Amino acid sequence: MSSASSQVCAEAAAVHAECGQEPGRCPLLFMLGSGILWLVLAGVLSLIASIQLHSPDFLAEHAFSSHGRVQALAETAFVYGWIGNAGLALALWILCRLAGEPLRASNWVGTGAFFWNMGIAIGLLGIATGGATAVPMLELPPYVQPLLFAAYAAIALAGVAAWTGRRREVMFAAHWYAIAAFFLFPWLFSVAQVMLLWFPVRGVLQAVVGGWYAQGLWTLWIAPLALAGAYYVVPRVTGRVLPAYDSAPLGFWCLLIVGGWTGGRHLIGGPAPAWIPTVAIGAAVVLLFHYIVVVLNLRTGFSGAGISLRFISFGLAAYALGGLLDAVTAVRGVAVVTQFTHFDEAQGQLALQGAATMMLFGALYFALPRIVGRPWASHGLVRGHFALSVLGILLLAACLGTAGLVQGWALNDPKTAFSDIAGLTRDWLHGATAARALLLFADMLIAVNFFTTLVFAPETGEKEGAS
Amino acid sequence: MKSGSLFFLGLAAAFGLSWSGIVWSNAQLARLAPYYDDGEGTSFPARLPGSAAAGQLVFRDLGCASCHTQQVRRPGFGSDTDRGWGDRQSVARDYIYQPYVQLGWSRTGPDLTNLAGRKPSAPDAATLMRLLYGGQGAMPAYPFLFENRKIAGQVSDAALALTGRLEPAPGRQIVPTDRARELVEYLLSLNTTYDYPEAHPVPASAGEGKK
Repeated sequence: MSSASSQVCAEAAAVHAECGQEPGRCPLLFMLGSGILWLVLAGVLSLIASIQLHSPDFLAEHAFSSHGRVQALAETAFVYGWIGNAGLALALWILCRLAGEPLRASNWVGTGAFFWNMGIAIGLLGIATGGATAVPMLELPPYVQPLLFAAYAAIALAGVAAWTGRRREVMFAAHWYAIAAFFLFPWLFSVAQVMLLWFPVRGVLQAVVGGWYAQGLWTLWIAPLALAGAYYVVPRVTGRVLPAYDSAPLGFWCLLIVGGWTGGRHLIGGPAPAWIPTVAIGAAVVLLFHYIVVVLNLRTGFSGAGISLRFISFGLAAYALGGLLDAVTAVRGVAVVTQFTHFDEAQGQLALQGAATMMLFGALYFALPRIVGRPWASHGLVRGHFALSVLGILLLAACLGTAGLVQGWALNDPKTAFSDIAGLTRDWLHGATAARALLLFADMLIAVNFFTTLVFAPETGEKEGAS
Repeated sequence: MKSGSLFFLGLAAAFGLSWSGIVWSNAQLARLAPYYDDGEGTSFPARLPGSAAAGQLVFRDLGCASCHTQQVRRPGFGSDTDRGWGDRQSVARDYIYQPYVQLGWSRTGPDLTNLAGRKPSAPDAATLMRLLYGGQGAMPAYPFLFENRKIAGQVSDAALALTGRLEPAPGRQIVPTDRARELVEYLLSLNTTYDYPEAHPVPASAGEGKK
């Protein structure tokens, strides 16, 4: 590196250290902002899908708003729109912070983020007009998937540059999780594309690959993105070394090695070779070790103060509870009740909304003031967001979980007519709809607060940064 | 954990390990051949007829699998066979000719594996058409799969026979679109009445299990 360029780097780092201004903040803010907008859209769509479960005629007259498609739209906007954008932006920011360098290749990030969001928009239009693949978590029409892959590569390039260009050799837990997420998603995504869309494998293997992808997306991408934020923020805010940090690598490798095997639990009793669910049941139990390690490491967050820690601690509790439920419902005697019911959905929402999203919110509340150099516009909105989110997630998980158990027991009793089962769960599904409305309202609060902070906040931070 | 390249190798190995599970299942499943029955002089499962294969695409793009499974679990594990969804458990061979396997993940609606082979009575095309047009219970209506047409001269042969709240206005008729016809063709192609040897891994002892 020439002396001139190293001097520029040093200056940039100095500016960054003094006032928290990030040289590559525009692409990051674009990703965070679009992520929040997708989150609100996903909230609207989930609310519609939830209403349709107890009032099937709601918006049923058009193909684009029929239940199957709305469900696919909501899931896609949430996973690829919200978690994809916000998770990647926060992971990038954390990697730069850990490297002590400003964001490199920020043009690549900006271009990639633009095409990523364009791909999602085209993909959602495609699903609405009949292009869905009917593969859970991979509903995007085949024609936008290569675009998303290329856009992802452009974004991830900056993450890899921040990792390889770090000043110190040492790697922290936040590094491991962020880098794992950056590297493993393209593998997973391309393999699933080839095996399910371009050259579809034959017969039941499609379901096996689909289950492996959906589980991998959670275990190897979404959860690591969320944990990278948690592992970065908790020690910063508490100012204390993470307890039991020696075991953190074991927890990390446990997730990576064992986590990918747990997807087969959804095939219990199904037409796939019996070893697949059997291995998955074992893997789900072994994976409890990972959850224990993560809780031990991050437990200092529970006693800490500040809004970031409250979000992350709630997310951590949901994460651990979700892991426990995964292991319990993988047992055949329990799966026979909960399989194919709303209980599955309750677990999915506990993971996506309760664990991943809350941890990402925590990291976002920590990161944004440091990215833009000024505090959040409204503390009231932050508190309201937390209260509504917690209430919404607890209500959603409880209602869907109970509906699932009621449905599962009724399904297993052949004397209960199938047509009566919907009536038994209706009240609980009404509760779930109320919870969806709460969550949508909560998401609108953070959207308002986010954009107000960007647009209307005082200019002091800007001036300091320029001087 | 200090070495970057070692870390990267670890990631690759962890990913490759779970990937090896897919390769192993592929080795088991890819060679499954149709089963030739000497007595019947034909092999099973049958391929989907063209219109039914087109109907599967309709099933797929409307996301029907978000409420309907297509897998019957073995007798004694859940009440799948007791509910008349199938006479036997589903096996991998059932699906080898399906272009897009729709095992499904939710039973908000009933299982459809053996819809056309259900006993004592399987639904006919007219019943399915009425169900799609009007919905029933928790099942939404799919009116966009039908045309509300003016009767010009004679009533179309394909027009639905509707009564009550679904009855069209005088002088109008409800006619299924091609998509509705293909979807119903597909639904009527769903049957697993043929018994493969592997569908009964444990011989049912006298008086229990099989009906």
